[in-house]
Amino acid sequence: MLEIKNLHAGVDGKAILKGVELVIKPGELHAIMGRNGSGKSTLANIITGRENYEVTSGTVNFNGNNLLDMSPENRALEGIFMSFQYPVVIPGVNNTYFLRAALNSKLKHNGLKEVNAADFMRLIREKLKLVEMDEKYLIRAVNDGFSGGEKKRNEILQMLTLEPQLSILDETDSGLDIDALKIVAQGINNFRNSERSFLAITHYQRLLEHMKPDFIHVLIDGKIVKSGGMDLAHELEQKGYSWLEE
Amino acid sequence: MKQFQKQFDALLEYWPDEDRALRDLRLKAFDRFKEIGFPNKKWEEWQFTDFSLIKNSNFHLSWNYDLPTIPKNIPGRIQNTHLIFIVNGHYQPQLSDIPKEVSVAKGLEHFKSNPELYAIENSSNPFLSLNTSMMNSGLPIYIKENVIIEKPLQILYLTTDLSDQLMNHPRFSFQIGENSEATIIEHYIGSTATPYFINTVSKINLEKNARLNHIRIQEEGSASNHTAYTSYTLDSESQLEATSISSGSKLFRHNINLALNNKGAYARINGLSLTEKNQHHDQHVVVDHASDSCQSHQLFKYILSDRSSGVFNGKVIVREKTKQTNADQSNKNLLLSPTALMNANPQLEIYADDVKCSHGSTTGQIDSEALFYLRSRGISKQRSMELIVGGFAKDIIDHIKNIDIKSYVSDHAFAWLEGSIKNV
Repeated sequence: MLEIKNLHAGVDGKAILKGVELVIKPGELHAIMGRNGSGKSTLANIITGRENYEVTSGTVNFNGNNLLDMSPENRALEGIFMSFQYPVVIPGVNNTYFLRAALNSKLKHNGLKEVNAADFMRLIREKLKLVEMDEKYLIRAVNDGFSGGEKKRNEILQMLTLEPQLSILDETDSGLDIDALKIVAQGINNFRNSERSFLAITHYQRLLEHMKPDFIHVLIDGKIVKSGGMDLAHELEQKGYSWLEE
Repeated sequence: MKQFQKQFDALLEYWPDEDRALRDLRLKAFDRFKEIGFPNKKWEEWQFTDFSLIKNSNFHLSWNYDLPTIPKNIPGRIQNTHLIFIVNGHYQPQLSDIPKEVSVAKGLEHFKSNPELYAIENSSNPFLSLNTSMMNSGLPIYIKENVIIEKPLQILYLTTDLSDQLMNHPRFSFQIGENSEATIIEHYIGSTATPYFINTVSKINLEKNARLNHIRIQEEGSASNHTAYTSYTLDSESQLEATSISSGSKLFRHNINLALNNKGAYARINGLSLTEKNQHHDQHVVVDHASDSCQSHQLFKYILSDRSSGVFNGKVIVREKTKQTNADQSNKNLLLSPTALMNANPQLEIYADDVKCSHGSTTGQIDSEALFYLRSRGISKQRSMELIVGGFAKDIIDHIKNIDIKSYVSDHAFAWLEGSIKNV
């Protein structure tokens, strides 16, 4: 589904990714771990199409299409989603309105009928339950006045609503207390199936314990230096990253 | 200036039998206007706006023969409202619908019984003097005490179908009686590409415990010039909710003066200015806290695209020995283009101790993080920008209580947004 080959990229002329190789197949959950500055978020930003990142060589294909040529909205419409590390507050834009606009954009892209306000409310109420969010968050502006945990739940709510094929979870566990972490992990786990893939970016194994990833990759200085299973996460928790650094 | 002298002489000639006192006022006001002259770059309060287009123009006053055919579908009509309809400066009573609690006086009678509302002695605003010298339209409106008028009154001042460059100097007065409540829309709209000049003065008085929602909409034609002077005087416990929406005219200058003259008065003045192409919108607000326990809240937002420019100058004065003043002023500006320009200058002058005051001004562009966030959810760039810019304007629109007015303003603002964001 996602195929990254020899990806070199940076920002402002500074090289950050130095030859990333990664293949994610349908149904798989991959985790990328690494220190701050190792290039984890850069990788997420390049997959989702954030501006100002410069790819110097390599390819990123999604379902056989070259992702790097596509606008952020088209990548989303093709099935890519990112749960932001720092979800953005958008003053004056109603959360429900935003969610429905996003969903309708996707339905339209897929040649399906757009959903009206009443049907959308029925749908979103179901999804809200899955992340244990109160309806009051729907009438607020996007992420406005949300606590850190509420913002992350709102990200997962969007994922559940838009039903992406590939979800990138950028530090979704940061800023969550234990209860919120459980709710978020459960939301993700319930959403998993044989078609949907995930790329989780994290410092810690907390979220991973709840999600049981299929693969764990260690990113150091812009390269994946080691891959393995859950055992690798445990090892990293005990030994840190220095044993993997040259 | 010559042209204005010519027009003033023509006015005196056109109405030879005009009341003596009114004529004296006109003459005095025109002398004052000539004495002050048009603002130039050296005038601190006017320095960012170039009035040479008005000064060197050939505008002539509107006479009866300027009355065009009245359009079947009146543009700008807001649903479920009473109507005072004025076309090219000519009041159309047969098309108006005035509620019985509202009395409309003759201009002369009003001047005779309220000469203080027409005094220009100390004003350094040339457009106020100019208006007083040539006032030729507008109406004095009085709402008696102890009435609540549920349905808003829309004053629609339409300029349309011009064969020639026209000017008008509308003079309004809204007097809201003790314990009364009303909603008045003062709406200027133009549907002509011919240049014209509208120079308004509106004096608004709220008596004790009166409540007024005043929505001023300026959607003049794109080649027009619109100068305006709005003054609010609030007596004790009265409440004003004022919103000024402006998207029209090439040049717009609006002076808003608010005097909180007696205990416990409350005022909110909001403004939303939408400019594109080479439009220039300049608003100056002076809020004068002259009594105890008064509140004033200001929120002025500008959205500027293309090569348009804006000026916001807000001053809050808290007079000596006043107590328990609560005043805030906020100005937020969004530039949609690198060639748009904003000049903001919020000021506080506080001469008392017992005050709670704040002010601030910010100017920025569309938040690129917010834009990426929306696009990453599959929403197109154009639509994402519309959402963000619409969100920026939303709190101003939400402050308008009446649902029909709100929906008119909202539709108008979003239509503007869609058009101007396409050009970004």
